[in-house]
Amino acid sequence: MRHYLLAALAAGSLLLAAPAFAADYTIMAPAAPGGGWDQTARTMQAALQDEGISSNVQVINVPGAGGTIGLAQFVNQSSGNPEALIVGGYVMVGAILTNASPVTLDQVTPIARLTGEYEAIVVPAGSDIQDMAGLVAKLKEDPGAVSWGGGSAGGTDHITAGLVAKAAGVDPTKVNYIAFSGGGEALAAILGNQVTVGISGYGEFAEQVKAGTLRVIGISSDEPVEGIDAPTFKDAGIDVSIQNWRMVAAAPDISAEQKAAITADIEKMVKSESWQKAVADKGWADTYLAGDAFDAQLKKDTAATAGILKEIGLVK
Amino acid sequence: MNTFELLGAGLLTAFQWGNLLYALIGVTLGTAVGVLPGIGPALTVALLLPVTYRLDPAGSLIMFAGIYYGGMYGGSTTSILLNTPGESASIVTALEGNKMARKGRGGPALATAAIGSFIAGLVATLGLAFIAPSVVKFALSFGPSEYFALMLLAFMTVSAAFGESTLRGLTALFIGLALGLIGIDQLTGQTRLAMNTPNLFDGISVTTLAVALFAIGETIAVVASRTAMDDRIQAVKGSVWMSREDWARSWKSWLRGTAIGFPIGAMPAGGADVASFLSYSAEKQFSKHPEEFGQGAIEGVAGPEAANNASAAGTLVPLLTLGLPTTATAAIMLAGFQQFGLQPGPLLFVTNAPLVWGLIASLLVANLMLLVLNLPLIGLWVRLLMIPRPWLYAGILIFATLGTIGASASTFVVFGIPTSFELGLLLLFGLLGYLLRRFGYPIAPVVVGLILGPMAERSLRQALQIGQGDPTVLVDSWISVTLIGLAIAAVVVPMILRARGKGKMLAAMAGDED
Amino acid sequence: MSLEAEQPVARRPDRAALLIALVLAVVGLAIGWSTLQAGGVAAYTPVGPKTVPFIVAACLIGLALWTAVEAWRGNFPEREEQQTAPILWVVGGLIVQMLTIKTIGFSLATGLLFAATAFAFNERRLWLTLPFGIVFSFAVWFIFARGLQLSLPAGWLERLV
Repeated sequence: MRHYLLAALAAGSLLLAAPAFAADYTIMAPAAPGGGWDQTARTMQAALQDEGISSNVQVINVPGAGGTIGLAQFVNQSSGNPEALIVGGYVMVGAILTNASPVTLDQVTPIARLTGEYEAIVVPAGSDIQDMAGLVAKLKEDPGAVSWGGGSAGGTDHITAGLVAKAAGVDPTKVNYIAFSGGGEALAAILGNQVTVGISGYGEFAEQVKAGTLRVIGISSDEPVEGIDAPTFKDAGIDVSIQNWRMVAAAPDISAEQKAAITADIEKMVKSESWQKAVADKGWADTYLAGDAFDAQLKKDTAATAGILKEIGLVK
Repeated sequence: MNTFELLGAGLLTAFQWGNLLYALIGVTLGTAVGVLPGIGPALTVALLLPVTYRLDPAGSLIMFAGIYYGGMYGGSTTSILLNTPGESASIVTALEGNKMARKGRGGPALATAAIGSFIAGLVATLGLAFIAPSVVKFALSFGPSEYFALMLLAFMTVSAAFGESTLRGLTALFIGLALGLIGIDQLTGQTRLAMNTPNLFDGISVTTLAVALFAIGETIAVVASRTAMDDRIQAVKGSVWMSREDWARSWKSWLRGTAIGFPIGAMPAGGADVASFLSYSAEKQFSKHPEEFGQGAIEGVAGPEAANNASAAGTLVPLLTLGLPTTATAAIMLAGFQQFGLQPGPLLFVTNAPLVWGLIASLLVANLMLLVLNLPLIGLWVRLLMIPRPWLYAGILIFATLGTIGASASTFVVFGIPTSFELGLLLLFGLLGYLLRRFGYPIAPVVVGLILGPMAERSLRQALQIGQGDPTVLVDSWISVTLIGLAIAAVVVPMILRARGKGKMLAAMAGDED
Repeated sequence: MSLEAEQPVARRPDRAALLIALVLAVVGLAIGWSTLQAGGVAAYTPVGPKTVPFIVAACLIGLALWTAVEAWRGNFPEREEQQTAPILWVVGGLIVQMLTIKTIGFSLATGLLFAATAFAFNERRLWLTLPFGIVFSFAVWFIFARGLQLSLPAGWLERLV
């Protein structure tokens, strides 16, 4: 009998669970429902409400053009509003450049980096490439013969491939990068031996690596990552480190006090049990970074990305 | 424990009363939201997923499976009755299903869809349970060149949906292909034909186009036509239930649809829409009554609906065994699995066996619940048509705009007035849908072009890029060669048959006319 | 599929169909022209981002010619007479909804659409359809926006709850 009641309650409570308070935070997810940024925004929503940091949090989805449509709308409509937040990520940095977006991340108030993922280069288990040195040797021989499978052109995977080639002394415009829609299709192409190497967030490959069908030959972190049996690019002599991060930012033109208040709320959320549990469940890595350190990191990423996108020829 | 014991244990859990109730609630919610015109399965699952978060793991998994199957199935009801498919996979269902509904045969159309979905769901879920590893191996052997060959086959057979005029069918297809060019080219990052409008950078959404062409276009066409306005729809003529002949004509279609839908759903770049297109043309080829196609042939509902549901289960093959989400709905499902602590991947069946078998058992139960819920409801659904027209169509427009604006809250400023860009597209394509109807152009090829065009172009270019420009990569595997051979046969064989049997055909047609 | 049955009456060129041919040709030319204007990117394949647009453009122009020939011969199917006023009501309702939804909220804007559509279908009792449309839309808004967290625009009416 209890099951019945619970079920009815679960279904009913959703319809009735409209608290009478005014909305506190409104988080914009510049992506369609279900995507990575949307999940980040909705996880924040749950954590902020569960921890009582904010009584009522709304999420709105404004998808399109790598998040730049949402960003433009956020900048135009939320100026000075201390209750407006936007979720974003490294992908946005590239999209702003490739789409020649009229608004940039300089126009919002970055609060903190929340989660991050490192890029990994993998080969099928049967490949004759054993390590980064083997890959570099092949690239130098004939860059076109090495096909790289990854996500959309101009995305994090493409940028990383370009950076790796450049650091290895190979012309980045010669990289034979095959863009697939999303990491999933790229993974299929790697497993099916359609491409030479695969490049994407490590999470896309983790289960395959565990099962032994793929081999990681390098990872884009600064320090070796526990549980990943591969050297960093840096240790393999390729001076590239990159993190595909997700962040939260506040509206333009808010006061220093307002910024401090939001930063405090976010910090409380990140430290909370419900956020930590959700992050662990979803297999995200908590790479929380706030304040000046995050601002500096953002500047560095933007500059490096602009440079490589020009060299690949995606940005004029 | 072996496979059967695990499945048995899973079924025992699923068949507890409490869990059956969760399955029923899931299926009801999924159907209720999925049935709304303009709201497709991806949005349905995304919206309803959080409902399951508050239950215990077994119950929530079961409710989740119910929502998935309910959402996948729900769309066919309104496609058949109102000609307003909310997603690309039920467009084909609308082609024949709506013609049947207009003749008062909505009941049998819904029944063959429901039973076909059940059988396809059952067979495909069992396929998922027992042959997933080999299906995955086959699916992975599809690289870009094989996909290109598959797309060629789909293009060659799509003429089955062309209706009576090749010119108008081709024109509709090319309108879709042209629309598919809009946006950022995925392989090079260049924007094409986007007219410097960032809202167009991601291309035209298939859902917006389908909802506009069908729901809005249909509404305008009905309201504009004197005869359609006066003509009273006969909700039911004859039995709501399927006749002996309906059964005889449906069962092979269900099985063929399943056989097409399951493997195509399992392919990383397949999907329910491609499966339903191929199934429709297969049904037209195999049917003993090809002349009924376009007039309400029951095979044209039975096959594609089965293919649609089989591919929904097929999608779970790469999702569970590789962690590969191959459709928007699957990507949302993946997020759902993670909250149960299920990490899809090659080791899932080893490390997480009880949960996986629990899920498969839940899918079987949900599938059964879907049938239990929907068969008795058919009589009720058919009565939807008895709602007076003004209220019915006004309601359709509410939901058509709701689904569109809900998926994108972007604001577009026109002359200083904040509006929604997607609603603008909806209106524009709605008018296009009306004009196409007015001049006798078929609608489905437009959507087919928008879906298949970009896929074909992408696979062709990926294949050539991997081969560094060498065109022989397109025919270097037996799969590509077979598919291309089939594509050629699809064009040549009917031509030969026509040449040989012309006299007979004309005589038969003359016979039909009087 | 009747080939000869409808032919005997000599048909005149179909002007509307000629217009369709013209529109198709213009769209084809526009695609071709805009593709010519776009910049190039180095790639490994003979089939670049411009190839398919050119093919589509060429085919559209070919289809335009074919359509023109058919239109000239009067081969398009007969069209039944249309009533324009109801179309304007439906389209007007959609435009009003589109322009007002961000300002006055989902329920009111969609209620207007509901009433306009019903009016087009000969339900002239606006005093009945308008309130019903607003209440119904509001209920829909409540279920989807509050119950299922779909982001739908809110106006003053929605902010009451």
